Amino acid sequence: MSEKQEDMSLDKRLALVSFNKDPEPFIVVDTKLCQQCEKKPCLYICPAQVYTWQDQLTYNTEGCMETGACLIVCHKIGAKAISWKYPSGGKGVSFRLG
Amino acid sequence: MSLEGFEVAVVGAGPAGSAAALTLAREGVQVLLVERGTFPGSKNVFGGRIYSYALKRLLGERWKDAPVERFVRKEGITFMTADSSFSVEYESKDPTGSFTSIRSKFDKWLAEEAEKAGASLITDSRVDDLVLERGIVKGIIAGPDKIPTDVVIACDGTTTNLARKAGLASMLEPREVSIGMKDVIELPADKMEERLGLEPEEGAAHVFVGECSGGLRGGGFLYTNKDSLALGMVVGADDISTKKVPSHTLMDRLRNHRKVRRLIRGGKTIEYDAHMIPEAGPKMLTRPYTGGMLVAGDAAGHLLNNGYTFRGVDMAIVSGIAAAQTILEARKRKDYSAQSLQTYARRLREEPALKDMYTFSKVPRYLRNNRLYNVYPELVCNAAEAIYRVDGNRKRKIYKELRTQTKGKVSTISLIRDLLAGARTF
Repeated sequence: MSEKQEDMSLDKRLALVSFNKDPEPFIVVDTKLCQQCEKKPCLYICPAQVYTWQDQLTYNTEGCMETGACLIVCHKIGAKAISWKYPSGGKGVSFRLG
Repeated sequence: MSLEGFEVAVVGAGPAGSAAALTLAREGVQVLLVERGTFPGSKNVFGGRIYSYALKRLLGERWKDAPVERFVRKEGITFMTADSSFSVEYESKDPTGSFTSIRSKFDKWLAEEAEKAGASLITDSRVDDLVLERGIVKGIIAGPDKIPTDVVIACDGTTTNLARKAGLASMLEPREVSIGMKDVIELPADKMEERLGLEPEEGAAHVFVGECSGGLRGGGFLYTNKDSLALGMVVGADDISTKKVPSHTLMDRLRNHRKVRRLIRGGKTIEYDAHMIPEAGPKMLTRPYTGGMLVAGDAAGHLLNNGYTFRGVDMAIVSGIAAAQTILEARKRKDYSAQSLQTYARRLREEPALKDMYTFSKVPRYLRNNRLYNVYPELVCNAAEAIYRVDGNRKRKIYKELRTQTKGKVSTISLIRDLLAGARTF
């Protein structure tokens, strides 16, 4: 009865989603600004963990699920470093069971 | 397809956009429906349920052709601590009022209905900007294409680029949006029905409050598809950011609760989805119209989370219909100025289904009270434990027990204030 459900790591989860990479950069971060960012809300809000921190902000747009939440928290709580738009038409994430 | 000669451009082939396009096309209006995904629904995620009335209004008896997963017979809510839970369940006499669905099927189907009515759908097309002439919207710009139209309906979702371009919205505040995530977990139908106590083909909707959100503003949800469960979390963007909880970790928190893990045991996770949800209501826009443009659906805040029902698709459909009707009237006058289109605001206010947004307009503020997530669920569970436990120690009357439980957790004044405010808000 008490066995733990196997945790679904984020990597496992993201492997279940189909992405069609947009060659155009639809997220651009001015990472210099992030050095001064106290709260770094993007690290927590993104359900796909597009943003990670290793001495500086790194981001991988390929797993972006296009919620747009990072833009809001970055500009209202963070360092206003993210510029974000949807990927080009037909590119980006595709949900089969959304 | 020639992109000339359209009277109306509808941006976004979700439920609002398709409902608007369908309503207009049926009246012989030349409508272009533009979708950025490879097919309608491919970018969309929701919890899982659609209220049928809106579809009936749009399609009459043909609403029955909708891709239904299961009609919802059972409604439930569970308050949870780490190791206990208190659930309430309601079994409706009539499940046809709402159904679970999958957006890649539902949105696709609804857009096809719009096409059948005569609307032209283009997919794989991101609308980047509006054609503006002296502040009046005169069309859309999609990639290299400048598409002139008489009027535009922006149904471009929570992020609504177009309402911002038209000066109707500024960027939302983190407390005005939530982040929603869900796992779709494959489970054989008979197993699901057995676990949830359902007759074959019937469905359930369930809400979880407390431990699963780790005290953050938000909660969990469960919906039954035909042979999968949609299990997810919705949490406030401000809380996630300031309390530094990586959003996706809440999914495992929910899955590992004893109440939930029994339901999903042996299931296979087949997709992970996420989406942003506007929680500000219609006031997220200064107004839902401007010269040459109307805004509907999520983009206009047309959805309602009052803590026990979560409505988006039905309100999107109804607001899409209202937008289309406004345009049909304006078209007779051949006048798409802001003044002519302002009847849209009145329609939204007078439309009974959308009126709920105004009736419950104080709910978002009430739901920002974190005691709802980190005090009361525990209180409910502890009280139940005290009431049901018989261990040979002296039992006290229920009232006394409840008083004891609140001590040190919440002041009497806060408790009374929350109760009174709740009574006024809901």
